Amino acid sequence: MQTRVLFFGKLKEIIGGAEQSVDLRSGATIADLFDRFAHEAPALASFRSSVVASRNQEFAPWTTVLEPGDEVAFLPPVSGG
Amino acid sequence: MSLSPHDDLVLLVRDPIAADALIRHVRQAEDGAVVTFDGCVRNHSHGRRTLYLEYEAYESMALEKMREIAASLHTLFAIDGVAIAHRLGRLEIGETSVFIAVSSPHRKAAFEACRHAIDTLKKTVPIWKKEYFEDGAVWADGELPPVPAATPAAKPAS
Repeated sequence: MQTRVLFFGKLKEIIGGAEQSVDLRSGATIADLFDRFAHEAPALASFRSSVVASRNQEFAPWTTVLEPGDEVAFLPPVSGG
Repeated sequence: MSLSPHDDLVLLVRDPIAADALIRHVRQAEDGAVVTFDGCVRNHSHGRRTLYLEYEAYESMALEKMREIAASLHTLFAIDGVAIAHRLGRLEIGETSVFIAVSSPHRKAAFEACRHAIDTLKKTVPIWKKEYFEDGAVWADGELPPVPAATPAAKPAS
């Protein structure tokens, strides 16, 4: 299934882009998705504990099972204001 | 730009924030107070001289989280109107990065609600700031937003 994945802040710089589309197996979780990117870009792995994820623009736990067409974003600590 | 059921205004803008317009938006005949917060770009950070800042956002989600903040203020405080604007892109020293205006019949609720709005924005709205110094740039330290616990619906039994 196709999933749209967004990266922001320093994560975007590590990945080298803000947006990717990936083909995931059915039943994959947000954690599976992150691990897949961390496998390709090992520098990403060290940020695992200081990243939160969103699914369809709501903060979501790592165990969230993804559905076709979901939009997932990986968000570093926010610093607006 | 987005209007909520309470006629609140939440905005992400790339040009200078029109603070007067936000104040006019919330200021109605039944109000006795308008409290505002003007967050501006400081010329130093952790002892280093800041040259300028760049802000980026997950714009659709940021607007939704800003709408949620505005809605929550109406349930938590006896207020009338809310306007919240955050600027994106490059900001120079002294420019306004975020402006919040809250109106209420009596001042106490507006003070408390305005404080709550900026504190919550800084913790939950997906916006990031990069600080540029003479010798490099860093993403500012931030806060990790709270994430809801996993629910049975999010993790079906197999």
